[in-house]
Amino acid sequence: MVERTFELPDLGEGIAEGELVSWLVAAGDTVEEDQVIAEVETDKALVEIPSPYDGSVTRLHHDEGEIVPVDAVIATFEVEGDEEAATERDSSSSSADAEGSPGETAADAADTDAAAAGTPADAAADASPGESPVPSGRVFASPSTRALARELGVDIGAVEGSGPGGRVAGADVRAHAQGAGTPAGEEPAAGAATASAAAAETAATTTADSEAVAAVGNGTAEAVEQRESGVGAAAAERDRTLAMPATRQLAADLGVDLNAVPASEEREGEPFVTPDDVRAFAAEGSDGASGVASGVAGATTTEEAKSATEPVTTADERSAAETPGEGAAAGDLADRPGERVPYRGVRRTIGEQMAESKYTAPHVSHHDEFDATELVELQEELAAVAETEGVKLTYLPFVVKAITTALAEFPYLNASLDESAGEIVLHDEYNVGIAVATDAGLMVPVVKNADEKGLKQLAEEIRDLAERARNRQIKPEEMQGGTFTITNIGVIGGEFSSPIINHPEAAIFAMGPIKKRPWVVDDEVVARNTMRFSMSVDHRLVDGADAARFSNRVKELLAEPSRLLLE
Amino acid sequence: MVMGDIATATDLLVIGAGPGGYVAAIRGAQLGLDTTLVEKDAYGGACLNRGCIPSKAFIHGADVAHEAGNAEEMGIHADPAIDMLQMQEWKSDVVDQLTSGVEKLCKANGVSLLEGTAAFEDEHTARIAHGGEGQGMETVEFEHAVIATGSRPIQIPGFDFADDPVLSSSQLLQMESVPDRLVVVGAGYIGMELSTMLTKLGTEVTVVEMLDDVLPAYEADVKRIVRKRAEELGIDFHFGEGATGWEETADGVLVSTETEAGDVSQYEGDAVLVAVGRQPVTDTMELDAIGLEPNDAGFIETDDRARTDVENVFAVGDVAGEPMLAHKASAEGIVAAEVAAGEPAALDQQAIPAAVFTDPEIATVGLTEDDAADAGFDPVVGEMPLRASGRALSMGESDGFVRIVADEASEIVLGGQIVGPNASEIVAEVALAVEMSATLEDVAGTVHTHPTLAEAVMEAAENAQGQAIHTLNR
Ligand SMILES: Cc1cc2nc3c(=O)[nH]c(=O)nc-3n(C[C@H](O)[C@H](O)[C@H](O)COP(=O)(O)OP(=O)(O)OC[C@H]3O[C@@H](n4cnc5c(N)ncnc54)[C@H](O)[C@@H]3O)c2cc1C
Repeated sequence: MVERTFELPDLGEGIAEGELVSWLVAAGDTVEEDQVIAEVETDKALVEIPSPYDGSVTRLHHDEGEIVPVDAVIATFEVEGDEEAATERDSSSSSADAEGSPGETAADAADTDAAAAGTPADAAADASPGESPVPSGRVFASPSTRALARELGVDIGAVEGSGPGGRVAGADVRAHAQGAGTPAGEEPAAGAATASAAAAETAATTTADSEAVAAVGNGTAEAVEQRESGVGAAAAERDRTLAMPATRQLAADLGVDLNAVPASEEREGEPFVTPDDVRAFAAEGSDGASGVASGVAGATTTEEAKSATEPVTTADERSAAETPGEGAAAGDLADRPGERVPYRGVRRTIGEQMAESKYTAPHVSHHDEFDATELVELQEELAAVAETEGVKLTYLPFVVKAITTALAEFPYLNASLDESAGEIVLHDEYNVGIAVATDAGLMVPVVKNADEKGLKQLAEEIRDLAERARNRQIKPEEMQGGTFTITNIGVIGGEFSSPIINHPEAAIFAMGPIKKRPWVVDDEVVARNTMRFSMSVDHRLVDGADAARFSNRVKELLAEPSRLLLE
Repeated sequence: MVMGDIATATDLLVIGAGPGGYVAAIRGAQLGLDTTLVEKDAYGGACLNRGCIPSKAFIHGADVAHEAGNAEEMGIHADPAIDMLQMQEWKSDVVDQLTSGVEKLCKANGVSLLEGTAAFEDEHTARIAHGGEGQGMETVEFEHAVIATGSRPIQIPGFDFADDPVLSSSQLLQMESVPDRLVVVGAGYIGMELSTMLTKLGTEVTVVEMLDDVLPAYEADVKRIVRKRAEELGIDFHFGEGATGWEETADGVLVSTETEAGDVSQYEGDAVLVAVGRQPVTDTMELDAIGLEPNDAGFIETDDRARTDVENVFAVGDVAGEPMLAHKASAEGIVAAEVAAGEPAALDQQAIPAAVFTDPEIATVGLTEDDAADAGFDPVVGEMPLRASGRALSMGESDGFVRIVADEASEIVLGGQIVGPNASEIVAEVALAVEMSATLEDVAGTVHTHPTLAEAVMEAAENAQGQAIHTLNR
């Protein structure tokens, strides 16, 4: 058996990271090569990640909800090989890295004893993706605390309790969820006032903190590796420690990590830390000469770095860093009651893109209407024919056709601004994005080279893309490379809209519903089928007059759609 | 789908309206799931109709009669006469009030109620056969289903509940008169509760048990008190004997037993009650249609989210495993409904309490001293004998004790065992302590009302700390 690590593979052109939406396997599971083990959401699509090996999963390196960079290690497998069994240690220690309270020690013993009860690794394997595992050993915590852990997706078996007898409190769970070791309220601030040792310790922690935060933007992958490789090689040699409750209290008061304290005694073969050990360690830490103190700081850094990989923290830091002017508003919001839904995945991608577009491109909108009588007739006629071939022909392919035709005449509407180069790129292909409302949010699959395709082919392709976007089977590359976007607001309702440009395209076209409206024909108001539509253009590239001319051309083509057949 | 069926769609289909099922249905509806509850028999399941409630009603009636007739010491001289028909009526009123309450609660919460037997067709479809011929069928399409079909009494070879003198606990609880003599097969909790109750009502009870003691699941010092009291009441125990058959006699039955060594004995009674345990009901709903089958013990296996191997199908209550207790069923029902609704619920309770309504009562929760040691704790134990409780003495009931088990290092309470009057009520506090991971000091530092039996919990915690006031500290 040999261990093999597996890195997040390339997710598509230009994609640097993805959100790990769900694990489909757990540590301990046996997997086959090509079996899907995880779902990762990128830009706009859900990508299934297949296993590269036949073997078993020993470790999952990221939690669901984390943003994972391409090439970061996401899982470790144990695969058939010639080396000695490196086996279970990893999986069991990862799911049971409970920090030592006496109770947990006992619970561990129980696990080893009672084979029937299952090992922690089993428990983790049982839990399906998205769920925090129910520890098989006993965890001292109240029902409300356990519920909180489940809500936050925290494995409560891995939380170190700060309460009497190592009982886990709600604050411990929250702190763990944010990657911090101790709950905010019990940070060694009090100790700092009394003992200089503690002050030094606190200072070390603070520095480590800010370093880790600084690393957030660029170093996620490194931070992760750091965590994987040598945690505590320097100081945190143990992941649990036997000690009397009073000793634990003392360690907490002095701001000392009990697991880093050299033990002077043993109990039942395990290192046992005494109050004197804690005091000696704290004192040594204060003069910083022994190297132990830096070890502690190192451990803290690693611990904090881990927090940098937690999406909660990252998001917080990011918003704090990037929107300085909105601190006050955000502060107000933080206290506002109401249901809180995580802003992530497709929702966040859409949000970020829209904001980028709206704040980058000065939008100018244009609205118009045309007599669609002929379009209706032609569509009816052709749709009936298409239907015999099993193709559903809607108005949309006609609109696509009209637009690609018009775009050829107005190249600035099929363009992008390359700001860094100071150049306008007039695209040499007509890739039309079609906005599709899905349960997960707005997606825009792209019909490549739409100008080269006939109505029937367009109809088929759009149907297929939309369907796969809705059940999230669409590939990221099928949503890239657009040069112009069409959105059909008529499907759901409404007449006009001010659509946001799919940045960095130059324009977007929103078609409204075709229906009978009053229309003036030869000075008489008659009922006619008309279509209303809206456009937004990037005013940096296109002036209102050009937009109007383009729109007139589209109108013309759609009002006499038989011309399109020539295209 | 069969032609002519009515098909309805529901988010959550719950099969069985016992304490597992109706609770799951109500919680499901509360969480906004369109919920349908199917019951083939009676709302409230075994618990309300044939189990917990009727048995406790009779036990209470028998206690009232027994105490009134046995209080000469207190200067009370009475010879109560039992009108069994009247007591049945009273019990039925209690049951009706509760079962109609369940029905009303379900309706008020928007649960759709269907009467009939549900059987799976596939993982998203079930067929409901309405009771009786020609009453029709109905198809329900569901997102999630909860199997809460409960359990039924186990029959043993030679004893068929269809034969008149052979009674199951359900049948016994329908009795219209107090039998003069009864043979009881089985000294588990149901056998012991019913034997005690009948003895107090005046029946001569003979208990035959294959094992060598009553209540196999409990510690020796716990069951000793109950067995001694039962013997004092006049129950005639025969341990180490298995019932092999019965024959009808002029005035009742003659039950034969055999020891392992082959010694045969016979006991007379008006009838024989067989209370040797309960088995999960897995044969009413065509499990194989969804590819499930019971495990070797007959239960449907579930994970810590109450889910079966079929992802959208849950199982709760007696059908999903031991302990077969109503409150466990309800706790699982809640988790199943919440998980179905997408909530992060899980079965992560530290302990499920259990009570035996014998005389005196037994109630336990969490770990015993031995359990705790087996689990790797260094247990510390504190005890308060009821002899030292003012309240117990003033009730004339001083047999029993309250024991608390904690982890020595952390002083966190791991369990408790209580024998005594109202033990089933007292245990609630210990259950809360265990569930909260309270320490001995938390319990000892909580001021308890005087004079109550619950004070003994505080005293036992103090005893474990070596600082009890009213008992000698060990
Ligand atoms: C004499 C006695 C005393 C007891 N005392 C206690 C006590 O003091 N405390 C305690 O906690 N427990 C007690 N119990 C146990 C308790 O009754 C059960 O644990 C409890 O009823 C289990 O609930 P449940 O919901 O799993 O199943 P049940 O209560 O058994 O309910 C299952 C229901 O499902 C229905 N059903 C089955 N199959 C189908 C189908 N295919 N379609 C539709 N409906 C179906 C049945 O008709 C039944 O109503 C006692 C039991 C007995 C017999």
